[in-house]
Amino acid sequence: MTAVTGSRAASDIGRAVDLDLSGAWLVDPATRRQGPGDLVVRDGRVVSIAWLEGDEANGIDARGVVVASGFVDLHAHLREPGNEAAETIASGLAAAAHGGFTAVCAMPNTTPPIDRAAMVDAARAAAVVSGSPVRLLQVGAATAGRAGEQLAALGELADAGVVGFSDDGSPIQRPDLLRNALAYAGMLGLPVIDHPEDLDQTSGAEANDGLVATVLGLRGWPAAAEASAVARDIEILVEVGHDVPAARLHLTHLSTAASIEHVRHAKAAGLAVTCDVTPHHLALTDEWIAGSRRWSWQALDDAGRSRDPWRDGVLEAEPYDGSLRVNPPLRSAVDARACLEGLRDGTVDAIASDHAPHTQVDKDVEFGLARPGIAGIETALGLVLEAVDAGLLPLDRAIEALTTGPARALGRFSPPGLVEGAVADLVVFDRAARWMPDAGSLLTRGWGGPLRGRSLAGRVLLTIAGGRLAFEDAAPA
Amino acid sequence: MSSTLTELDGGADPVAESSSERPPAWPHRHLLDTDVLTWPQIELVLDTADVMAQIVARRRPRSEALRGIGVTNLFYEASTRTRVSFEVAAKHLSADVVNVSVTGSSIEKGESLLDTMRTLESLGARVLVMRHATSGAPYLVARDFRGSVVNAGDGRHAHPTQALLDLYTLRRHLPGASLRGRKVVILGDVLHSRVARSNLWTLTAAGADVWLCGPSTLLRGFEGWAAAGVGGERRFTVTSDVAAALRDADAVMALRLQQERMAAGLLPSLHEYAARFGLTAERLGLAREGCLVLHPGPMNEGVEIAPEVATGAQSRVTEQVANGVAIRMAVLSLVTSVSLRDEA
Repeated sequence: MTAVTGSRAASDIGRAVDLDLSGAWLVDPATRRQGPGDLVVRDGRVVSIAWLEGDEANGIDARGVVVASGFVDLHAHLREPGNEAAETIASGLAAAAHGGFTAVCAMPNTTPPIDRAAMVDAARAAAVVSGSPVRLLQVGAATAGRAGEQLAALGELADAGVVGFSDDGSPIQRPDLLRNALAYAGMLGLPVIDHPEDLDQTSGAEANDGLVATVLGLRGWPAAAEASAVARDIEILVEVGHDVPAARLHLTHLSTAASIEHVRHAKAAGLAVTCDVTPHHLALTDEWIAGSRRWSWQALDDAGRSRDPWRDGVLEAEPYDGSLRVNPPLRSAVDARACLEGLRDGTVDAIASDHAPHTQVDKDVEFGLARPGIAGIETALGLVLEAVDAGLLPLDRAIEALTTGPARALGRFSPPGLVEGAVADLVVFDRAARWMPDAGSLLTRGWGGPLRGRSLAGRVLLTIAGGRLAFEDAAPA
Repeated sequence: MSSTLTELDGGADPVAESSSERPPAWPHRHLLDTDVLTWPQIELVLDTADVMAQIVARRRPRSEALRGIGVTNLFYEASTRTRVSFEVAAKHLSADVVNVSVTGSSIEKGESLLDTMRTLESLGARVLVMRHATSGAPYLVARDFRGSVVNAGDGRHAHPTQALLDLYTLRRHLPGASLRGRKVVILGDVLHSRVARSNLWTLTAAGADVWLCGPSTLLRGFEGWAAAGVGGERRFTVTSDVAAALRDADAVMALRLQQERMAAGLLPSLHEYAARFGLTAERLGLAREGCLVLHPGPMNEGVEIAPEVATGAQSRVTEQVANGVAIRMAVLSLVTSVSLRDEA
């Protein structure tokens, strides 16, 4: 039986951790090793790892308590400065730790946007003051003021330690500016993270262009608006790469089958492109807006086409829940399957939460007026584990996409892994324990969320970031 | 509750008659769309409207059914005819009617829809009749409102009382009062039409052979819905071939075309639209003799419908308006029969 010893209190957040863990399932994505083992942490360092074999390993499998390297989120919105009612750096990092993340890339679309070094310093200071040991990895704006007109102070931002550049929330719309951003960021050794969306195709759009949008009278958001932007970005990268081989493009929150296919071809051609998908685009579909609550893989027929939720009689919730409004929109079951397939075959490098908290004022309104975004950093692991439980994603591949995958996409940053002598940076979660995301359990300030009140797989018991306590479940199993 | 209808002389009480059976004949506290209505429930609305029509036909049309009940018309989009129709219907039932018109979105005013609802609720609204430019808005209100919400049109999504009055009007003129197998054409801007969507549910439930016809740009997504079927089963036909659609039709419903469709690049010009898709006398000649002509109004005569068709012998447009009052009286009394029972 798994045993976790060492008692800590909430006031211990940020303290160096001692931990004795015996008979857990260890997953080390850095060495691609997984199996039963014991792990001892003293004063924040991994002092021993014993991989168990034979009789000792009996009865220990991957379905119980799992220990993995700490997760890295490539994409989160912490809303500070400017919208502290929705989230702060402190509340966002606390929520991240609850989700098992030990490093979080914060997007720069705050108010004002993070486009200067002083703002990076201020964000870092807020992270220190928060007391959370979760690493804040700041992304800098790609264009000044995110206005899409001229480059932001990329060199200054790089010197201040940003991990990449993005105008996320919006695409870099002007192709010439994207070209220059890729070239200049490449010179600095950093990736450009693009939010691929052709705004001319999505003006006023509310929901994925498909049966659900047609029936519900929601303005269609075409898959082509994303795939054509992905294709454009890749074509520009091809040419920039001739001049600046170090130029790197990361495409974030891909949601359509065609986008994944474009990236698959680009990678096969050897281009320096990486991408991520979100947990909600893997597990949820546009059906949820009509009131369905089944997982994406349950919404496919035997021939691999999207099923009709009206025919299946699965509409159980009220339609038009504003918490389901998100950019890009929840797509079809076919798109979700393509995202999962991309993860399995390595086309997709990472699972990123796109944690996008909003206040009740911005979210509990008419569907088409709700601000887009799902505050999902705490439910990311649960959704991924639902896919693992359904047999659609191997556990080790899921862990890679939450750890080494995003680290590779960032280039310079690598998680320590489960290594003797290293600083402990890990998450302990119990796959057998389900939990309920609700006001009592969630640490984000973000309002609502489509998964509230629904039981989810995989309770996080403990998160250790940089050797220090980041989260511990109040009522361990 | 059901005493509301027993006061109507000469009329049976459809609610009371069926309420002893299980499940209740009318279980809906709100009417947000026609999609949730079973065929017996649709028939109950139409039969109740027959009773209401008798009241309307009196020299002094008045029932005491909703005396003391606050009915608030909350309109976020300008619509004189629908608002007046609901107002007249509520007054015929002796309700206390309040009209609230909100210009500009609630966001611009800084007051949320739910705040507005709670305010009106505190002011005594027991029924909210709601018109809103955003699809789905009445569902948000219905989630928290303690009384009944009646959708008077939300975005492109639904206009249930319009679909019911269309069905009521068609049934009165078809032999055997049945639409089974009858070819009904909805012609025009289907994409943006809440009338078309709500009618799809009711007309297919009635067994009609429904055809949606219009330029391909204004049928976006409907081929997919036709392939899936309404409710995953009931078939309909989508075409841009006006002649094929109108041939042997029993009824045709022209939809209003908005000027802004040209600016959005959906159509070349009003002139071209009228020439290719306008309901002219010549095109109507392709349909069955006596083919009924409907329009939800207001009409752009000379665009989606020729003036001589709009006011011609086959037009049932003014009758639709009159029937709208009876249908809305029926809907108001049915939904309040549930909310007042819940209150009691």
